[in-house]
Amino acid sequence: MRKLSAAVSLVLLGVLAVAVAEASLVALIVLFSAVLKLNLTIELGLHYLHLSLPAAPYRPEVAVYNAGSIASVLFTAAGGAVAATWKFRRWRAPR
Amino acid sequence: MKRLLSLYPRWWRERYGREMGVLVDELPSRTGVALDLLLGAAIAYAFVIRGHRILSAAGAYLHGLCVAVLLQAIGFVLLILYSQRSPGGVNTDVGLGPFHFAAVLWPVDFFSPRSLAQALTRLLPLDWLPAIGLLVVLVATLVLVMTAPRLLRTSR
Repeated sequence: MRKLSAAVSLVLLGVLAVAVAEASLVALIVLFSAVLKLNLTIELGLHYLHLSLPAAPYRPEVAVYNAGSIASVLFTAAGGAVAATWKFRRWRAPR
Repeated sequence: MKRLLSLYPRWWRERYGREMGVLVDELPSRTGVALDLLLGAAIAYAFVIRGHRILSAAGAYLHGLCVAVLLQAIGFVLLILYSQRSPGGVNTDVGLGPFHFAAVLWPVDFFSPRSLAQALTRLLPLDWLPAIGLLVVLVATLVLVMTAPRLLRTSR
């Protein structure tokens, strides 16, 4: 039972870390869109998050589709999982 | 200043806390000393984490997430730069087979008298500078994040 709860906690913490990382990425992309004066659209299921600049109507529009959002989450989680697995397998006690 | 010692791990405080407290009392209260103490706490925690297999893997997981986020941010800026490869911009679509991940769409406005001026403006290197600046900052951050574990290990 203790092992099971530890495993569930580990998974939940991992998911939380990915969520925080994705939120940071979205914040970075919004910041970059403001700096580069881009119109940004992020597709979230049936909804759209749209940021447009009325002062710069001739700027390009960057669109991130659902597949892009899902691929981003998978890439981020895979990056963490690969790094953790690599470390776990190659771990040696420090001398 | 002495309060910063409470940021160190318990085993460290039990072993070195008393003599370090005396040493900190003798040192002037400067920002440099505070930064040294904070760095020392980070190194002490890194030592604890490295000595534990699960904690070490958890640290590597967070490190991997940071690297993945930075790589995606670099990819975003590179996509914008790539779409600016010709005057007026080029519509760029990032996809794999039937999946479309992202796209950069440039407005077409032939009838506007400002469109020529806009196209000429995009030729100027000044328009690329913010993106190049962001790219340099992101790559520098990535290098720092990649080398930070080694730096912490060697600065013990």
